[in-house]
Amino acid sequence: MAEYQHHPASFRDPSGFIFFAKGNYYRQVNQSYATDFERLMSSGLYESLVKKKLLIAHEISEENFGHSTDWYKTLIPQQISFISYPYEWCFDALKDAALLTLSILKISIDHGMILKDATPFNVQFYKGKPIFIDSLSFEKYDELKPWIAYRQFCECFLFPLFIGHYLKTDIQKLLSIYLDGIPVSITAKLLPAKSKLNLGVWLHVFLQNSIAAKNKSSASNNVHFSKQKLTRLIDHLENSIKGLRIDSSIKSTWNNYYDETILSSQYLNEKEKIFRELTEDVEADSALDLGCNNGYFSEIIAGQNVPIIAIDFDSQCINQLYLSEKNKSSSNILPLCIDLSNPSPGVGFRNAERSPFEDRGKSDLVIALAIVHHLVLSKNIPLPDVARLMSDFTKRTIIIEFVPLNDPKSQQLISNKTNYHQPYDVNAFEIAFSKYFKLERKEVITGTERILYRMGKV
Amino acid sequence: MRFLLLYIDPGSGSYLVQMIIAGVLAGLFYFKNAWLKIKSFFSRNKKTDLPKDQSNG
Repeated sequence: MAEYQHHPASFRDPSGFIFFAKGNYYRQVNQSYATDFERLMSSGLYESLVKKKLLIAHEISEENFGHSTDWYKTLIPQQISFISYPYEWCFDALKDAALLTLSILKISIDHGMILKDATPFNVQFYKGKPIFIDSLSFEKYDELKPWIAYRQFCECFLFPLFIGHYLKTDIQKLLSIYLDGIPVSITAKLLPAKSKLNLGVWLHVFLQNSIAAKNKSSASNNVHFSKQKLTRLIDHLENSIKGLRIDSSIKSTWNNYYDETILSSQYLNEKEKIFRELTEDVEADSALDLGCNNGYFSEIIAGQNVPIIAIDFDSQCINQLYLSEKNKSSSNILPLCIDLSNPSPGVGFRNAERSPFEDRGKSDLVIALAIVHHLVLSKNIPLPDVARLMSDFTKRTIIIEFVPLNDPKSQQLISNKTNYHQPYDVNAFEIAFSKYFKLERKEVITGTERILYRMGKV
Repeated sequence: MRFLLLYIDPGSGSYLVQMIIAGVLAGLFYFKNAWLKIKSFFSRNKKTDLPKDQSNG
C-alpha cells in the first residue's frame, strides 16, 4: 500500500476523512469541523461515549501527514483489524447497531449535540459488540429542529429490520443492493398488510410514505420542534426496534446440522479430537472459518485467543452464533452471513468504496470443514477452482475436510443430479490442492471415510 | 419529478414527517397518561381498602 492514501470509502463527509499512512489508519479533522470537534471533546460527550464503549477511542496528533491545507487535527483511532458491512451482518447484529445508534443519539442530545447522519457503515463489530467508529458524525443540537438523519435511520436500519421481522426473510441481499437504505416507497410495497396493525410500522413506513408522496416539492423547513418531541420520537423508534426479531424456530437448511444429523455425537467427538491436534501448534494472528455452521470449531480457535471470522450463507446459523457470542464479555468470533460461492463484491463509488470479501478475508489460518463437497457437488465448482479459492484466502495454514462421494451427505446432494464435475475423489482432491499447498498431516475420522487435512501454503 | 427531488436536502424532506409523527405520539402519550391516571385512581382506592381488609382479618 502507498505511503499516504485516502480511504476509498471516506469522501462524502466534508468534515474530514480516513487515510492510511505508516501502517496505520488515521482520521483527518478538517478546519470546517473544528468547532463541532472541540464541542465533542469538551462537552464530556466523547468521554462519556468512550467510557461506555459506544464510540471508538482516539488519540489526537498534531502531525499533518498529507500537508492538507484544510487540516485541523489528526486522530489516531483505535485500530480495527477487520471491517465488515451491514449486508454481511445477521438480523440481530443490525438490530444492535440500530440500538447503538439511538443510544448514542440520546447521550449526544444530553450533551447538546446530535448525530448528523445515521448509517450502519458508521458501526463496526469489535470483540462481539457494536461500536460507533465515525468521530465526526456529531454536530451542535438545535432544539427547534427535528433529527436531520431520521429518514436515513429509517431506510438503513428500521425498514430492513421491519422487512426481516414481517417477511421472515434474509435482509442481506436487499441491503447489498440498497447501500443507502431501502426507500420508504419500496418498504411500503414489501410489507404485508397485517404489519399496519403495528403502530411503529404504520407511523414510520405507511404514514411517512403517504406524506412523502404528497409533499414531493416542499422542503418544509419552517418547522418548530422541541427536545421533548425528539426524545419521544427516539424512544418510540427504540421500543419499535426492541420488539423485532427473526423467528429462529423456523428450520433453515443448516441450523440444526450438528444437533440432528446421524453423524452427530461420535463423529463430532472424533473430529474435534483430530481438529484440536491439528491446530494446537498452528501459529496464527487471524483465522477464517468457511461454512462455520453453529461456530463449534470457531469456538476452539477463538479459545486459543485468535480472532476468527466465521462465515456461513445460512443467516439463521449466523444469527444464533452472534447471539451466543454477544452474551460473552468479550468475543474473538465475528459471525458474518457470506455465501462462499458468491461472496460480497466490491461495491459503491468506483466499485472501491466497499471492498470485496476476498480482499478482507485473507487469514493466516483457514478452516474449511465439510464444505468442499457442497462447492463441488451442489454448486458445480470444479475441484481445481475450489483449491484456488482456498489458496486465495489462506496466508499460512488450512485445515480442510474431504467428504467422499460415498458419504451419506454427498449422496444426498447428488441424489437428483448427475451433472457434477468428476472425478470427485481423494486423489483428485489431493492433486488439486497440491498446486497451492504442501500436505502436513492427514487423518481419517474414525467411523467415517471423511479425512481431515492440515496443509501449509506453498 | 425524480430530478427535482435530487436537489432537495434529504433531511429536510423528513422534517414534516417527524412533526406529524411527534404529534401522533404526543396525542397517544396524552391518552396513555390519562388512562394511567384513571387506572391509578381506581387501584389507589383498592389499595386503601386493602389494609382495612387485612386488619379485619
